[in-house]
Amino acid sequence: MDEFQEILQDFLVESFELVEKLDEDLVELESNPEDLELLNGIFRVAHTVKGASSFLNFDVLTHLTHHMEDVLNKARHGELVITPDIMDVILESVDLMKTLLEKIRDTSEDSGIDVSACVARLDKVSGGTGEVQTPVSDAPMAQESVEEEELTEDEDEPDYENMDPDEIEAEIERLLQQRQEEDRAKREAKIAAGESVPAPPPSPDEVAQEQEEPKEEVEAESKPVPLTPTPAPAKKEEAVKSDVKAAAPAKRAPAAVEQTIRVDVKRLDHLMNLIGELVLAKNRLIKINDDVEERYEGEEFLEELNQVVSIVSLVTTDLQIAVMKTRMLPIGKVFNKFPRMIRDLSRELDKKIELVISGEETELDKSIVEEIGDPLVHIIRNSCDHGIEMPDERLAKGKPETGTISLKAYNEGNAIVIQIDDDGKGLDVEMLKNKSLEKGIITEKEADTMSDKEAFGLIFKPGFSTAAAVTNVSGRGVGMDVVKTNIEKLNGIIDIESELGVGTSLKLKIPLTLAIIQALLVGVQEEHYAIPLASVLETVRISRDEIYTVENRSVMRLRDEVLSLVHIGDIFEVERILDSSEHAYVVVLGLGASKLGLIVDSLVGQEEIVIKSLGDYLKGIEGVAGATIRGDGGVTLIVDVVALMQMAKGVKSTAMTDNSSQEQHSHEKTKADDYTVMIVDDSKTDRMIMRKALEPLGINLVEASDGQEALNILKQGEHNFDAMLIDIEMPRMDGYTLANEIKKYNRYKNLPLIAVTSRTGKSDRMRGVESGMVEYITKPYSGDYLSSVVQRNINFKSEFL
Amino acid sequence: MSDKLKQIIDKQSEQQNLAIDHSDDIVQLVGFIIGEEEYAVPILTIQEIIKPIRWTRVPQTPAYVLGVFNLRGSVIPLIDLRLKFGLGAKKHNEETRFFVLKQGDEVAGFVIDRLTMAIRIKKSDIGPAPDTMAGDDSMIDGVGKQDDRILTILKVNKLLERDF
Repeated sequence: MDEFQEILQDFLVESFELVEKLDEDLVELESNPEDLELLNGIFRVAHTVKGASSFLNFDVLTHLTHHMEDVLNKARHGELVITPDIMDVILESVDLMKTLLEKIRDTSEDSGIDVSACVARLDKVSGGTGEVQTPVSDAPMAQESVEEEELTEDEDEPDYENMDPDEIEAEIERLLQQRQEEDRAKREAKIAAGESVPAPPPSPDEVAQEQEEPKEEVEAESKPVPLTPTPAPAKKEEAVKSDVKAAAPAKRAPAAVEQTIRVDVKRLDHLMNLIGELVLAKNRLIKINDDVEERYEGEEFLEELNQVVSIVSLVTTDLQIAVMKTRMLPIGKVFNKFPRMIRDLSRELDKKIELVISGEETELDKSIVEEIGDPLVHIIRNSCDHGIEMPDERLAKGKPETGTISLKAYNEGNAIVIQIDDDGKGLDVEMLKNKSLEKGIITEKEADTMSDKEAFGLIFKPGFSTAAAVTNVSGRGVGMDVVKTNIEKLNGIIDIESELGVGTSLKLKIPLTLAIIQALLVGVQEEHYAIPLASVLETVRISRDEIYTVENRSVMRLRDEVLSLVHIGDIFEVERILDSSEHAYVVVLGLGASKLGLIVDSLVGQEEIVIKSLGDYLKGIEGVAGATIRGDGGVTLIVDVVALMQMAKGVKSTAMTDNSSQEQHSHEKTKADDYTVMIVDDSKTDRMIMRKALEPLGINLVEASDGQEALNILKQGEHNFDAMLIDIEMPRMDGYTLANEIKKYNRYKNLPLIAVTSRTGKSDRMRGVESGMVEYITKPYSGDYLSSVVQRNINFKSEFL
Repeated sequence: MSDKLKQIIDKQSEQQNLAIDHSDDIVQLVGFIIGEEEYAVPILTIQEIIKPIRWTRVPQTPAYVLGVFNLRGSVIPLIDLRLKFGLGAKKHNEETRFFVLKQGDEVAGFVIDRLTMAIRIKKSDIGPAPDTMAGDDSMIDGVGKQDDRILTILKVNKLLERDF
């Protein structure tokens, strides 16, 4: 019962959501009747509700939605134009659907509401005679015909066959009272019910049984009068219900309210974003704490600050994990409803099917769990209907009588794979092509050039169906279309493998979470890019002479393979002003069978990054999949590996062409103003003092007010500097950091850096040396001293004076 | 006596009319300088105005798209209006600002040379764009005249529209 309740809950929540959306769509459709996309959407809602309600045995609802679907299907194929009259009928049926759903929510069953009038109108619209008896499809379901009989035959009082359970209940109540009056000795209601109910000739039990009979409900036959039906299989619900109500009314509680809250995924996303911000702030706090620690070593308040910082960072980390966890759910939640579905389907289709489930504990993001349910229902229904053959057919082919569908979930790298295998008849490539030709989905020419894999892909086209007849299970050609749309929405990939006569295997590869991926961060010049780690096979360090040019393309030898290379700078139009050393790093990207070596200047490291969209304005930039915000608050672009591989084909070999030649020029100094020295100091006065001291030499002087500015001037490459005078304490970027940054560039490796500072401590001097300073001038200094130090360092020739 | 009364009443209603005119037809704009000219956008389209911060270049875009920057966790495109209007690039200085404009879901930052002021201008003082620049493709919504200056009022939806 619990399992059933869980499924029922899911069904109700989903259906209400769908119906709510349906209202909006229908209204829009009326003003825009030609919109095929909209029609398809509405049709899919009816289809989904029908599918779910049919395996939950809500016959009235199934009946209604089936007819709605017929009308909409006609409209979808252009056989019917949606007029306001037709829309009235459709809207009426939607209202009825809502009433039915509410009824189900309150009482767990859908009887007691008359849908026949509406169904008749729907039928009329879809071109029927207006008589509900008209068979709806080529293969009407057994339960449906029973349903229709029920609804159309004249209401005859004593005919229990034609009563809906509410009336039956009333009848039971009446009989009960009668009986109780007759025999007051029997006081317990249960006993009374048990004995009195079967007494009248067409007993309610028989009614119940007859309702079940078309489905060959074994348990109903073996247990004619179940008195304690609580744990009975949910399928028997209806049959048993009339009894239950009479016997133990308390046991039939309305569907219980779940002890969880459904939260809009947007809110969770927002929460994630906020936590991302918090993490950024925490990272900065830690960095500041380190700086403070260094500067005020030994101060008392440091301890306290340290404690606060560590608490904040601890809590932030926990919070991050907690929110991530709220979004993770085991996929078992989705898988749970399939055993029942398979059981029902196998009965409906007269096939023998066994379902094997594994990996149901695999966890994935909530939004994905919610989205994956529908596609899986459609896939499994398809496997049952089209995949698995009839038992005798299977025996004739030498297969076991019972077909097997296996449903597996497992982690693969940063993705989760859901695999659905069946050992049915497999996909027939020729048949797929022919069907598609017939329906005008592909052209003759396309069919000829199509590979098998592409042909398998045809089953995902809207309007495609291989079933000969429209049945309750499938055949309308919407299902697999839904699958593809939903999976693509999740950035997932569908892979089909099939062998005729042996079986079909469908693999859905879905990212673990939608928002966070592991990435390799690489640097080129001053820019950083993030490459999804899932596409990175390995990284290698090579020297320039390992790169060869073949037919205008750069290649390298990687073990036994030849790997074509492309420089990331060529793809992303990075200006290469400062060329790095003799060595380069190659990131080997793999995508399916193709490989590519991407040359980068540096490897920064592996990081978990949050994917953000670039927004509408910059949407669809080739080679860029999105952006992420890094710990320092900067934005880093995420590489779209698929696009990058395409782009690489068009890039000429410039991978490592030397532009060192330009570095050689202008080293010959012939006069004083061939020399250029940069002064970096945040104080204007200090810069002035230095300028005064150096101007008499007649050399060029360039000023910068902090490290960042100095670095930018260097990067612009307008000047060839012979030395730099650097203050240590500066805003934005201090002297040590600047020196470290400068030393990263090959071109400036030998540039003399002279510290000019008022810091005189020994440790300061040590740090200066460590960061690559060659001289250390302490303030105050004499102009002559400064001048002589500079002259010495730039090899200034005294004859220029 | 009644003449005098009438006069007073007339005067009052006149003033009232004026007051109504005043509140009805005032447009609030924020003015800024790009190159030599003053431009303006409606005040309500401005999400915020910030001092220049670091941005990241985005490849395969026109030169006037400088890249993207991080505005409290959102990645927002940055467009240099000098370059977009065909003026040469200029180093950012103390007066440079990023104008973050928003219309619907579209948000983008625009680099401007200098802010001027918030402007209240009568609708009647706004003329149409010059014929040569009018039309749907034009970025100019109208030209405002106030005292001795001329303001070019820009269409925010055009500014936020991707045109490459």
